[in-house]
Amino acid sequence: MTEEAIIGIRDLTKYYKGAEVPAIDHISLDIFKDEIFGLLGPNGAGKTTTISVLSGLFPPTKGEVTIDGLDIRSDHDRIKYIIGVVPQEVALYPTLTGLENLQFFGNMYGLKGKILKERIDEYLVRFGLEKFARKIVSNYSGGMKRRVNLIAGLLHKPKVLFLDEPTVGIDVQSRNVILEFLRELRETGTTIIYTSHYMEEAEKLCTRVAIIDSGKIIAIGNPKILLEENPEFKNLENLFLGLTGKDLRD
Amino acid sequence: MYKLFAAFRKEWLILIRDPAGLIVLFLMPMVMVVVLSMVQEFGWSTISKEPQVPVLFVNCDNDSVGNKFQQGLSEAKIFTLITQFDSIPLTKETARQKVLDGSYQIAVVIPEQTSERLRAKIRLLVNKTMTSLMMPNQDILAGVTNNDSVEILIYFDPAVRNSFRNAFLSATKEFNSRIESRIIFETFQEELRKLFPKFNMPIIDYQQSVYFTEIFPSGVKEELLPSTTQHNVPSWAIFAMFFIVIPLTSSIIKEREEGSLIRLMTIPVSYMTIFMAKVGVYLLVCFIQFGLMVLAGIYLLPVFNMPSLEVGSNYFAIAVLAIVSSLAALGYGILIGTLSKTHQQAAAFGAVSIVILAAMGGLWVPVYLMGGIMKHIATFSPLNWAHTGFLDLFLRGKTILDILPEVGKLFAFFAVTISIAAIYRKLKPPIST
Repeated sequence: MTEEAIIGIRDLTKYYKGAEVPAIDHISLDIFKDEIFGLLGPNGAGKTTTISVLSGLFPPTKGEVTIDGLDIRSDHDRIKYIIGVVPQEVALYPTLTGLENLQFFGNMYGLKGKILKERIDEYLVRFGLEKFARKIVSNYSGGMKRRVNLIAGLLHKPKVLFLDEPTVGIDVQSRNVILEFLRELRETGTTIIYTSHYMEEAEKLCTRVAIIDSGKIIAIGNPKILLEENPEFKNLENLFLGLTGKDLRD
Repeated sequence: MYKLFAAFRKEWLILIRDPAGLIVLFLMPMVMVVVLSMVQEFGWSTISKEPQVPVLFVNCDNDSVGNKFQQGLSEAKIFTLITQFDSIPLTKETARQKVLDGSYQIAVVIPEQTSERLRAKIRLLVNKTMTSLMMPNQDILAGVTNNDSVEILIYFDPAVRNSFRNAFLSATKEFNSRIESRIIFETFQEELRKLFPKFNMPIIDYQQSVYFTEIFPSGVKEELLPSTTQHNVPSWAIFAMFFIVIPLTSSIIKEREEGSLIRLMTIPVSYMTIFMAKVGVYLLVCFIQFGLMVLAGIYLLPVFNMPSLEVGSNYFAIAVLAIVSSLAALGYGILIGTLSKTHQQAAAFGAVSIVILAAMGGLWVPVYLMGGIMKHIATFSPLNWAHTGFLDLFLRGKTILDILPEVGKLFAFFAVTISIAAIYRKLKPPIST
């Protein structure tokens, strides 16, 4: 892992309209190149809000964010070329085929012709979807939709990939394929920011995690080191519950 | 540009993957144009091959006035006179009762001695005139027993439209004028023959002197009479084209709900590209819709005994106007789809606003019949601009240069609405903030 921060966050704050309490409360952190950085937290902690701000869906109320040296407010359009976003909801056109969806999103990233075709074919094979590429997405299983959802964010080979709960509600095989792929992707130099409710997954996958609660970072570091520092907790899930509490968050 | 083509291809694929939706999009407007044109043609037309309006007629006079009224109303070809029920002649009271209970809309009663009273009044008039010429003739007053007013009774159902009521009254007043004129002429003629028997004056038949010729100045075709088809087909075609707002707003909101728009916000593509791709596909739909409706007007309406639509020969101007009318509708649809949060909001607002703009714009009640402020408000409706343009092309034989103001306004409306939508989307992302 290099020491080069690809994402710099300083005093990031976000208030939703009409809210008295911020969804993100003065977060500051650096995310380095080649990291798989996990954002963990209970419901309403601010994970999705953080991802949304970083991916440019809406601006922060306060604070500074830079991605690969580009400011998120003034260089937003340039940032879009270097980030990929895999939203929590499957964001595909259900009446188009998997192939047509990927062709469209690839074209929107500026890809076309042979390059686009090769990349689509490469990812379809990698995720075991080559036989289903010409079937419409509404007929796919949940796991297949998630895989296409992921591919759509990768076609342009982004430097930074944001994944918001990429494995929720899918079968074990599909989850395994996705997680293996993310490990391989990291090896190619892509920085991955990843939110999840699956602690075991985060513990195995992430090089560093930040545990967020009520918009604040309450713990940050390598999962193994965090557990070493808190020996009373056997695993990341226990650590998480210990830090955030066992009360339901609705 | 290839991003626009890619977005266009995406929209096109989504559209054609809904065959039921396509059938509705193309078939329903054609059905609407035919059905509504037929309703207006047969319900409103005063030029008809068969008598349309039943009129109860009670002729208590049985003399020249009553008989001439009966003959005149029958020959008008607008009315069917009913003088008896079950072989029993109508009376004043039965006719009044039938109008009162709503069975019939009009009843005409010619009271007894109407002709006699009219002749008495005319004889008095002639006598006064002759007296002023120093030629009094007391004989003319023989048999003049009273000079009460001559009254013809017309009962109207309160539900009868004012326009029809006025038309009927005009017709009966015209008959009356002719009858009076004839009797006056004949009475004068008779007196003059009596006064000057030596001249052996021939009996001259009274004839109408002034005739009216209708001319509709049209460069489209000689003797092109503006039928209800010429008004209805463009009106309903424009109305149907603007209803593209409904499927278009649905497409925009669906894209938001499915999450695709969220993904697009993180991709380097402008909202204008996304919107223009939708415009491209739905413009094609609107143009085909318009073409089908025009063809329905030309070939389908005559199957139902209605006049065929005449479109003239200025096809280029018609195509240009159809395109800019479609663009105006699409810009409006994109704006509504962008501003609306739900399908219900978009559908309700879209549909009702189109109806309001159509009514405002004179698609149902012509603008020249509107009063005061409504006439002014009508000029702000894009449907009015489109309607005016098509009437100018179809009825008045105008050219593309003549309709440039309407073309300009429609295109400007499109440019403004789509720009507002793009700016709004950029400033207010479609997710809670």
